[in-house]
Amino acid sequence: MPLPGAHYTLRLPNGLTLVAEPIPAIRAAAFQMLLPSGAITDPEGLEGAATVLEGLCYRGAGGRTARQFSDALDALGLQRAGNADLESVTFGGALLADDLPEALALYADLILRPALPPEQFPSEQALALQRLERLEDSPAEKLFVHLRRAYFPGPYGRTPLGSEAGLRALTADAVREDFARRYRPEGAILAVAGRFVWGELSDTVHRLFGEWEGAPPGQPDPDCTGRERYRHIPQETNQVQIGIQYPGLPAEHPEYYVQRMAIAVLSGGMSARLFTEVREKRGLCYAVRAGLLTMRGAAAIQAYAGTQPDRAQETLDVLIGELVRLAEGIEEEELARARTGLLASLVMQSEATRARALHLVRDQFLLGRVRSLDEIRAGVEAVTTDAILEHLRQHPARDFTIVTLGSSPLEVPA
Amino acid sequence: MKTHHIVLDNGLTLIGEENPAALSAAAGYFVRTGARDEAPEVSGVSHFLEHMLFKGTARRSADDVNREFDEIGADYNAFTGDEYTVYYGAVLPEEQGRLLDLLTDMMRPSLRDEDFVMEKKVILEEIALYKDRPRFCVIDEARATYYYQHPLGQSVLGSTESISALEADRMRAYWERRYAPNNLVLAFAGCVDWDAAVEQVTRATREWRPADCPREHPDFVAQPRVRVVPDEKIHRAHLALVSPGVSAQSDEVYVADLIGDMVGGGDGSRLYWSLVEPGLADSVALTHDPEDRFGAFFGYASCDPERTAEVLRRARGVFEKATAEGFTEEEVGRARRKAACARVLHQETPLGRLYHVGFDWQYRQEFRTVDEVIDRYLSVTADDCRRFLERRPFDALTVVALGPLETVE
Repeated sequence: MPLPGAHYTLRLPNGLTLVAEPIPAIRAAAFQMLLPSGAITDPEGLEGAATVLEGLCYRGAGGRTARQFSDALDALGLQRAGNADLESVTFGGALLADDLPEALALYADLILRPALPPEQFPSEQALALQRLERLEDSPAEKLFVHLRRAYFPGPYGRTPLGSEAGLRALTADAVREDFARRYRPEGAILAVAGRFVWGELSDTVHRLFGEWEGAPPGQPDPDCTGRERYRHIPQETNQVQIGIQYPGLPAEHPEYYVQRMAIAVLSGGMSARLFTEVREKRGLCYAVRAGLLTMRGAAAIQAYAGTQPDRAQETLDVLIGELVRLAEGIEEEELARARTGLLASLVMQSEATRARALHLVRDQFLLGRVRSLDEIRAGVEAVTTDAILEHLRQHPARDFTIVTLGSSPLEVPA
Repeated sequence: MKTHHIVLDNGLTLIGEENPAALSAAAGYFVRTGARDEAPEVSGVSHFLEHMLFKGTARRSADDVNREFDEIGADYNAFTGDEYTVYYGAVLPEEQGRLLDLLTDMMRPSLRDEDFVMEKKVILEEIALYKDRPRFCVIDEARATYYYQHPLGQSVLGSTESISALEADRMRAYWERRYAPNNLVLAFAGCVDWDAAVEQVTRATREWRPADCPREHPDFVAQPRVRVVPDEKIHRAHLALVSPGVSAQSDEVYVADLIGDMVGGGDGSRLYWSLVEPGLADSVALTHDPEDRFGAFFGYASCDPERTAEVLRRARGVFEKATAEGFTEEEVGRARRKAACARVLHQETPLGRLYHVGFDWQYRQEFRTVDEVIDRYLSVTADDCRRFLERRPFDALTVVALGPLETVE
């Protein structure tokens, strides 16, 4: 029995890893199955395949029709979660702990034995095209799609929504082939958090997923060589959307926690730099933030603000100014607040099964192991203001990729 | 799990559900004021005032408020609705005292002119932000159309015009009337030291004076209305559907909740099979929103503009079929289980639990434990749903469509 906050790990011979964290005081269990087969491994010319495939899986599996399958999930009261993302596809949910084995059996059908009925393909394709179109009515989301595209010239620049050409080129047969190629156990991760008995859980997982075989195609590198400096998307909106992206350090880097605390000083709570300088002191926007976009083996820092056109230039200038100014000095109190906030949120999130399952699956995917709460705590506590300043000297905020969306372009730094 | 309740001499109500096993403590002021309590010329003042409460007090500057929340590692925020304004925070148990000191002090804000002017800019940005979100706009429009001249139709954000014209003195007067202690409930959940909380808050609020905080309750009868809001800049058709539900005080809230879920609560609902599965609409949603003395079902769908009429015709067909035939026991059984599960998960953390503890008290002056709520969901039958639908709530369906459209039917 591991200590509170600790977890079990089991790697099956077929390459599937099970990570599980017991939270015995809780009545629920949450699980996530991750397949490392997201949009970056969409076949060239068929961008959007991962999304259509994931959607089609729910249209019948293991001898059940789409409706029978959906009813079976609902009969367990299962709260569904999962989607096709850039690097991975996830399937999962949360429910009362006693029903976990039954839910896992249903998801084994969904992932290993989907019917992928050809007659259902046109509806799924139509939905995918509409969801891509919906981006036009969601300026902030559209900004981030373009920010990624401007930053990563290769497959990492894609959106899981796909491209219109890619979605139109897809066929029912292509999706079936794609399924056979991609839904494989090697590198897959099943994370469980909540109330369970480990022996029973590992037996269930062996029984349900033990016979599954094969490896999915390898993932491309997150290469940003040749990225754009500035891209403007003309669109008539009430607010100008501003996005900035520049290189960060990946999760396995020794300075990861230093970087994380630097970002928390910038954009942790409401007393952090960006909120204070851009919103509280100048009233330039409602939403302003910075965060880390973490991928396997790579990371980028993203900053965002939305503001009305007459103040857009000032907002961009102030935003960049704050990103750069961080290297000039940090108060001990600023770091202390960032640290307190992070440590408190660690404890508070440990009460929520779904948040824990996400932590497990993310760590296992990014690092190949799960960090304990104590390890994260030690990492955070070791960070000093000097270490952050030294880190910022080595990795200054510069060489930005900037994207704006609105009526007219802005002046960006050379 | 222990529950507590006390009304202080000044009229302030404190309630708490104490769970010593929890890892955090959550507290929140539930103020009985919102968009429905505003005169038309100060539309948006409740929400603007919510922002202003973070701008400091007699003994705290705006910076102090944000800084202190962060110093105690709080997960904190505030929100404004039609009927309530809520300020909340969750902290590790040892910071309960500082959290309470801060939240309680915030209820007596300075409302300084220079902060008012600065924050007005932020509010205008927030309004602009939501104008770029058609899904939000169409629901807001539908609320106004459905509730017509009833105060429940009023906008939480207000308009660019109402906020631009708002003067600080009007806000101060509104605050005077609405933030009297007898109009506030301070709720607790999680690992709370109740006795210490009562002692501290009693001391901190001893100068507070009760006042008359009336709320208008005009009659309302739902009428089916159809409204099209043409906007060529929008790409999709965004549809909102509203029909009568039951109030937060009604014993039928759980029945209404399940009916909303079965008809249109996302994947696996009847609207899903009718519209999303065949690829006619890219999303559907339907939820029941119970409020003070009234309640309504709010639905949403988005589709290709040229398919609007077909989507609407099918949606109406789904409502008519449910009204005529009701639901099977199996269907109700699944919905019961989903609702029970969702409640368990949402209330795992003290902060999730606080929301329910606070609103249960504000609307019904009672505690309902998670187990009690689950039992209530699990006891809903197909017959209960049939009886509910005999009143034919979906006959009064209000429809609002936003997008590159001229007509919908």
